[in-house]
Amino acid sequence: MIDLIPVSLRVNGVRYDIDIRPWRTLLEVLRESLGMTGTKRSCGEGQCGTCTVLIDGKAVNSCLYLAVEAQGKEIATIEGPPAGDPALQQIQRSFVSKGAVQCGFCTPGMVVATKALLADNPAPSEDEIREALVGHLCRCTGYVQIVEAIQDAARGMQDAASQMAPKGSD
Amino acid sequence: MNEQIRREFQVLGKPTPKKDAPLKAAGRAEFADDINMPGMLHGKLLRSPHPHARIVSIDTSRAAALPGVRAVITGKDFPGVRYGNLPRTRDYLPLAIDTVRYIGEEVAAVAAIDEDTAEEALDLLQVEYELLPAVFEPEEAMKPGAPQLHAPAPGNISAHTESQFGDVAAAFAEADYVREDVFETHAVKQGMLEPHACVGVWDSFGKATLWSCKMSPYTVWRQLAMGLDIKPSDIRVVQTYVGGGFSGGKQEAMPMDFCALMLSKKTGRPVKFVHTMEEVLTIGHMRHPMKIWLRTGTTKDGRILAQHCKLLANGGAYSSIGGFSIFLAGAMLNLPYRVPNMKFESDRVYTNNGFCGALRGHTVVQMCFARDSQLERIAEDLGIDPLEIRRRNALHDGDVTPNGFRINTFAFDECITRVAEMSGWYSKRGKLPKYRGIGFGCGAHLSGARLMGHSASAAEIRMLEDGTVHLTTGSTDVGQGVETVMSMIAAEVLGVEVDDVNYLKVDSAATPLDPGTFGSRVTLFTGNAVKQAAEEVCRQLAEIAGERMGVDQQDLVFRKREIINRKDERQRVSLKEIVRWAMFQQGRVITGRGTYGASEEKIDFQTGQGNLSPAYNPTACAVEVEVDPETGFVDVVGLWGADDSGTPLNPMAVRGQVIGAAVMSIGHALYENLIRVDGKVMNPSFRDYKMPQATDLPKLADFQHANVITWEPEGPFGAKEAGQGAGTGVIAALANAIYDATGVRLTRLPMTPESILFGLKGVQQQKGNRGP
Amino acid sequence: MTYLKRLPKFEYVSPRSLDEVCGLIAGTSDDEVMLLAGGTDAILQMRRRERVPRRVIGLKGVAELEFVRERADGSLAIGAMTALHTLLSAPAVSQRYDLLRETTAQIGGPELRNVATIGGNIAGALPCADLPPALMTLGARIRLSSQRGDRWLPLDEFFPEFGRTVAEDDELVAEISLPRPASNSGGTYLKFHDRHSMDMTVVGVSAFVVLDDDGRTFRDLKLAYANGAPTVFRARRAETVLRGHALTDEGLEAVAETACAESSPRTSWRANGEYRLELIRALTKRAIRLAWGKASSRKGTKP
Repeated sequence: MIDLIPVSLRVNGVRYDIDIRPWRTLLEVLRESLGMTGTKRSCGEGQCGTCTVLIDGKAVNSCLYLAVEAQGKEIATIEGPPAGDPALQQIQRSFVSKGAVQCGFCTPGMVVATKALLADNPAPSEDEIREALVGHLCRCTGYVQIVEAIQDAARGMQDAASQMAPKGSD
Repeated sequence: MNEQIRREFQVLGKPTPKKDAPLKAAGRAEFADDINMPGMLHGKLLRSPHPHARIVSIDTSRAAALPGVRAVITGKDFPGVRYGNLPRTRDYLPLAIDTVRYIGEEVAAVAAIDEDTAEEALDLLQVEYELLPAVFEPEEAMKPGAPQLHAPAPGNISAHTESQFGDVAAAFAEADYVREDVFETHAVKQGMLEPHACVGVWDSFGKATLWSCKMSPYTVWRQLAMGLDIKPSDIRVVQTYVGGGFSGGKQEAMPMDFCALMLSKKTGRPVKFVHTMEEVLTIGHMRHPMKIWLRTGTTKDGRILAQHCKLLANGGAYSSIGGFSIFLAGAMLNLPYRVPNMKFESDRVYTNNGFCGALRGHTVVQMCFARDSQLERIAEDLGIDPLEIRRRNALHDGDVTPNGFRINTFAFDECITRVAEMSGWYSKRGKLPKYRGIGFGCGAHLSGARLMGHSASAAEIRMLEDGTVHLTTGSTDVGQGVETVMSMIAAEVLGVEVDDVNYLKVDSAATPLDPGTFGSRVTLFTGNAVKQAAEEVCRQLAEIAGERMGVDQQDLVFRKREIINRKDERQRVSLKEIVRWAMFQQGRVITGRGTYGASEEKIDFQTGQGNLSPAYNPTACAVEVEVDPETGFVDVVGLWGADDSGTPLNPMAVRGQVIGAAVMSIGHALYENLIRVDGKVMNPSFRDYKMPQATDLPKLADFQHANVITWEPEGPFGAKEAGQGAGTGVIAALANAIYDATGVRLTRLPMTPESILFGLKGVQQQKGNRGP
Repeated sequence: MTYLKRLPKFEYVSPRSLDEVCGLIAGTSDDEVMLLAGGTDAILQMRRRERVPRRVIGLKGVAELEFVRERADGSLAIGAMTALHTLLSAPAVSQRYDLLRETTAQIGGPELRNVATIGGNIAGALPCADLPPALMTLGARIRLSSQRGDRWLPLDEFFPEFGRTVAEDDELVAEISLPRPASNSGGTYLKFHDRHSMDMTVVGVSAFVVLDDDGRTFRDLKLAYANGAPTVFRARRAETVLRGHALTDEGLEAVAETACAESSPRTSWRANGEYRLELIRALTKRAIRLAWGKASSRKGTKP
């Protein structure tokens, strides 16, 4: 039986060459091999969303994804790139200022999922936000503050984008 | 005057983000499962597959021989001392020794180099069981000849309470109207997202340290000492961030905690345990399923004269704090209403199921469901408006209940009014389209209970030379915002910014003793202690500053990091300067201590007489639903709640708490149900244990909450509880709304689409029978 | 107790082509080899030890199984490894196969749809799977590939009994083909579950209606069910009741009655069979009405 296999994972823009066992999930490798514990483990079956990461920009449950299958893909986690990620930071600020963080265990997954949502849909409606949160459980907030935080983050990112845009473009 | 104090708040009363939110949002808050120590081993627990069995033998040899396994332990590795909450109810063991009493009970534990190996080792443990007859329902368990779970509890009666106030028989005889109903509630779980986790180190000098996500670290500390039969001073419990609590086991020492320490002792390595969600949902700690028989007598205008309640609680295999659970149900039977005569009888019964204890709202939730559902029926029978009957019976400021609750502040009437306004009650009730309905529900809670054992809180403040504040208490943040509101209280008194206060997590080696986070006690109990500690620091600093400034210390005020002469505001000195002077020139350590014990008032737990809490808070809510008559599906389209949480010290946290509590109750009422078949949990998974998702709730515009502001004299700066009360009225409101929409009266939880659909068929049949 | 354990040990291979996959599974049994598509179910099956394969064949690298293409004959070809998210964003699906889009959108949440595949949803052979009823009513055919060659069969014939498919151990679902829907057609999938989303389906009903040219009567009606029986199935007798007739309350009652007679939903702790039957009755009528409405509104539009 093949045991350790070498893989090269790109996480938050940094390349990690490691040897892993093929039955390791991406969640296990992030937390246990790379020491990135911001991605949480909870239900282990894709229901709670705490383990959400982005693979090539798309939100996935890292507990249901083999690490070997992430080889060659861009993985983004809550830790973000070393130089920082303005989108992630805006979302984090909004979660903080709108009271969307209580126990904080669902928060990293929610924040990462929000990044994917707003990349696809910069101005989501309330319904679209709620739909995007399907698969993310929060037991503390009742989601109200989370929905508000995402609305706030969307506004914040649009404001930032309009400031960046060359004058006269609107 | 109160208004004036509130206006003068520098820090309190303003929506303030949680201090730890930036760290949590960045994924950098270290939860217990995030701890990794050099040489750390991973533990796993073997659990009983049988609901009731004698352990004949355990052969650990094959497991121990598996490469990578470092140690295997069974119940016999512990001293055999039972632990628990009250001397009478100590029935937990770290691992079962000769008997297992429910499916999932911990039987043995292994430590191995990784989780995979530990899991593999479990399969190699050979346990020989002798099966014993099992019993799952309380009625069965109470019958003569039923299997007995615990020798000291004949008839499987785990706890019994009885209380009577006033002349109940006479009041019923006098009543114009009497009705009886039976309600049934179900097993539901706390559903915190962070599974239980811990890391244990028992060093070669005999000192045991546990890092864990505990709500009540000092309870854990004592229980560990009990179960390990060692001195508490040899144990240290260090709190990590807590990923949700709700009393789902994080308030007690659990088998994993004992095993992490014992396996560490045997291996000389740190040992980590993390439950899978399947384990979390299988093991004990859940809401008590109850049968509630409730008889109420009223005058013809709907004034309650008497209530008599008989309650049977399915306690599961162990006590937990079940004795208090049923006591509380009886004590809170009346609130938020005036019930001059009341009688309560209840039994908590051992069965071969996972054990039950506290869960947000504790047993008040079940009682409110029963009582406020029944009150609605009474109103209907007597032709009284549902809001009016509640107003007629409402408790008010200054009332003393027959069981001795002294109600200082209780803006129940205003809560009802606010909800009626926000929800548009009078424009909706009776006027909504078919299959759309609106219902009202009320409840109440207390701000911490005076308990038999450790009840008081303490706080300690130490000033640092840069003018910042080092604040410690024994209260843990579990997401509700303790670290923020305690910092706000200290900052308010000391005239500094919230960020100047460093609130440390609980460490039994360093922080003051405290019963912990439960029962909505922290803001009031610990908050008062923090306020007192800060005031003591101010007194010390004012003394020094007064001397240096040549000002009477009575004239000094603390504001914006300065100490100011109120008579001549030009005379001011920075806080930092005074602290440094005191430290550097006088060698003084500026520390302040505060305590709050809620006075030494005694509660008679036999009769139920006594003022159980320093403060009580009412809540009211309206829920609007739309029911699909062909499937029974319920859509919750609106929820409007109002609470009297006293003066909200951090409105952002209060809002988070009350909305969270309401949503949890929606889940418990409609979707969530821990299904047990012959003691086996059929749905130990978030796939099948269905908590509300973002799409299950009303839109932002139709989901509103209002605080009716009062000034509670017992609270720090007028505050009362916020985290539990708001959920207590929601289930009855839903039941009443479903009735309004469909004519189906549900008395059994959960209110499933199936029960509504078949209920509708029954209603239609009845109509048919009655003719046009 | 059955634990959700960590994954069992297995060997992992990642073929790059369908040929390679067929070669890898030739002469093996399902017990030793497992095909891993999206993995959202398969990983859990392994964690529950329902399956403990010696070798896992990861399909994520087989690019030729990932496509959504309109063929010259007007049909739509979908590669088995197409993720649900890709289906949702494919213009051809949104424009012509609203039933498929609507069904896909009701499965899981974004994280799951980004990974789960159409092939996995079919090959899992679960009676509660949502795509098979919708695909059956759309007239789906599937291509099974093996070293022995390809064969096509109607999806209706794919699930002989609970948890099984007619695919041999050396075959895999490679492609799904949908005929172009008639211009005056419409379909809907009604998924009933306790919450609004993210639930196992209690009952799912797919109805696909083709109107006659005059738009007043049913030319064709197809009905298929999730969790109406041990397998996803088509209610063939119920489908005939309204053929050639107009939409009437009595007609709908008759269809629903027949569909119930053809169903055999099970009672489990998740739901009672009796209640599932009530759902089948109610949702059959509702789905046909909705599908009829869609077909009527599309009548006259260009296919």
